[in-house]
Amino acid sequence: MGTSAEYDATAGRVIIDEHKGHPGIKATTLSYGQINDEMLAMLDKPRPSYYLLLLGFLMALGLGALSLAIQIDVGIGYSGISHPIAWGFYITNFVFWIGIGHAGTLISAVFYLTRAPWRTAIYRSAEAMTVFAVLTAGLFPLLHTGRPWLAFWLIPYPNERMLWVNFKSPLVWDVFAVTTYMSVSIMFFMLGLIPDLAILRDEAVRKGNKLKAKIYAPLALAWHGTNHQWMHYMRGYLIFAAIATPLVFSVHSIVSWDFAMSSVPGWHTTIFAPYFVAGAIFSGLSMVLTVLIPMRAVFGLQDYITNHVIQSVSKMIIFTSIIVGYAYATEFFIGYYSGSPFERAIFYYRPFGEMQSWTLLGDSRINFPQIAFWLMVFCNVIAPIPLWRWKIRNNPLAVWIIAALVNVGMWFERFNIVGSSLQHEYDPASWGEYWPTIVEVGITVGSFGFFFTLFALFAKSLPPMAIMELKEATIPPMKNAAKGH
Amino acid sequence: MSKFTGVWAIFEYLDETTDTIEQVREQGVQPTVITPCPRHEIDHALGNPISSVPWIALAFGALGCFIGFSLPAWTASDWVLPVSGKPIVAIPPFTIIGFELTILFTAIHTLAGLAVLAIIDSFRFPIPNAAKKYPRFQRDRFGVVVRCDVTKIEEFEAIMKKNGAEEVHIEKE
Repeated sequence: MGTSAEYDATAGRVIIDEHKGHPGIKATTLSYGQINDEMLAMLDKPRPSYYLLLLGFLMALGLGALSLAIQIDVGIGYSGISHPIAWGFYITNFVFWIGIGHAGTLISAVFYLTRAPWRTAIYRSAEAMTVFAVLTAGLFPLLHTGRPWLAFWLIPYPNERMLWVNFKSPLVWDVFAVTTYMSVSIMFFMLGLIPDLAILRDEAVRKGNKLKAKIYAPLALAWHGTNHQWMHYMRGYLIFAAIATPLVFSVHSIVSWDFAMSSVPGWHTTIFAPYFVAGAIFSGLSMVLTVLIPMRAVFGLQDYITNHVIQSVSKMIIFTSIIVGYAYATEFFIGYYSGSPFERAIFYYRPFGEMQSWTLLGDSRINFPQIAFWLMVFCNVIAPIPLWRWKIRNNPLAVWIIAALVNVGMWFERFNIVGSSLQHEYDPASWGEYWPTIVEVGITVGSFGFFFTLFALFAKSLPPMAIMELKEATIPPMKNAAKGH
Repeated sequence: MSKFTGVWAIFEYLDETTDTIEQVREQGVQPTVITPCPRHEIDHALGNPISSVPWIALAFGALGCFIGFSLPAWTASDWVLPVSGKPIVAIPPFTIIGFELTILFTAIHTLAGLAVLAIIDSFRFPIPNAAKKYPRFQRDRFGVVVRCDVTKIEEFEAIMKKNGAEEVHIEKE
């Protein structure tokens, strides 16, 4: 097996001796200086392939920006959104990107509280992904309003119309949840960066790079690493982790209530909150692997992002895949068991299309929701099954392919929820069909370009791994190795 | 211009640093320690000092919770929207706003609080400019700073040298 640690029968758990390093993470045996040097080498002048990749992301971003300009200029009628399908690609993207952000908070906060040692190497990048994903997600509800320049109406402020927002509306809950999540994620991310920025400042001084030292000095906020600074910092970090933990579970629950508080068949269900949260963590962890496995190969980070780390994330993917698969099955069972013809109809429509007869043949014509449904089932339930095998989990390429498939599947899951129920609500006379227009596709591609451009810039301008935490996890320099505390 | 009187030293090893801290504390002086990362061994040697950041977080979290409930209740009463005889001031939906503002206020004031406390401590427990500018403390070295009278400098210098300090610096105002 990849890792083993000593099992202490008295304590009833595996004990990892920090003076020997973690058996599955080679970086825990490196010296402080080595960690500094290897992390800072990642910020050196990039190779041409980096610029090529960045150019690709910028092109996608440019396509998105152009589509966005057309959308805002012409108006929301230029999208495929129309009665009865008021929520299409934009809300799908919003739910998808908010979900992607969840893994970062899970890794940086929840696994910090549970003291999972494998999180150290990946949490900074995952946290950055959270910030970028939430920034991406935040664009879509504003765009979806049709008049984004009036988005400030969502904020409760005294105004001459003497109107207030309706705090009983799930859409206002969403405004509060997403803005809180975005603010806390950015603050948590910046807090984690402070000691590393001080490292960058001092390394620039040590190497005589005055310009870099001048840039990093104000960003490091006079950090010197005194015990007083560490004391307040670590206590504050713990509080951030403690409050971010319930926050991460609340945010996607509240996003799910945008749907579940309605009376639309297929949406009006109590399972939505845990179902959405599990799906968010599932997709977020997959995105973490989708990005970090290539990054590990490009920067040669095998000592940090070891196979043990990839395996640990893969196990979480298996776990959340089971929850998501179970939720799909429960939805169908409740659709049948409720006795409601509308619920039964929507859960027939999702996989099989128009209900022409009570056979499983359905409509011969393929609709978008059917494509979305079967892609969702394949990518989210079937594709992760090979991860149960250790050999597959230990193969980064295989894990990357599965993680990429899960990302595709989770996007289509969001679309399956958003799109299908609105096409087939109660009254057949008001049924409709939704196909996205070119601007919606362009903006969706642009959102991926936006996310990956930000991540590519981050990976070359700030340490993609928390240097301070890597040092904390490694064996401290001891003159008398037998002496520990 | 440094207004510091005392002695500070650079150590390569953690155990040498903790030994020095313990021996300095035995002389009735609380040193300031500079480290590249937080270590529990240092906290133990320093007598496990406690931060007051959690009290700031608690106080402002409670304020956020109060605002989170009272703002929706007040606005709902200010502009009444009767829907199907449902209560105007409804606690369950306002709980969500209360929860989110509790988290938001806690986060903002934790960050502000730890910054303010760190600034206050930098005045209460000053370290010499030379120690601030020494670039290897953020890399792989430990520092112990002792503020003391001129008369005690030699005593602390001896402790530091005995414990294997790489460099010992004496600062007089």
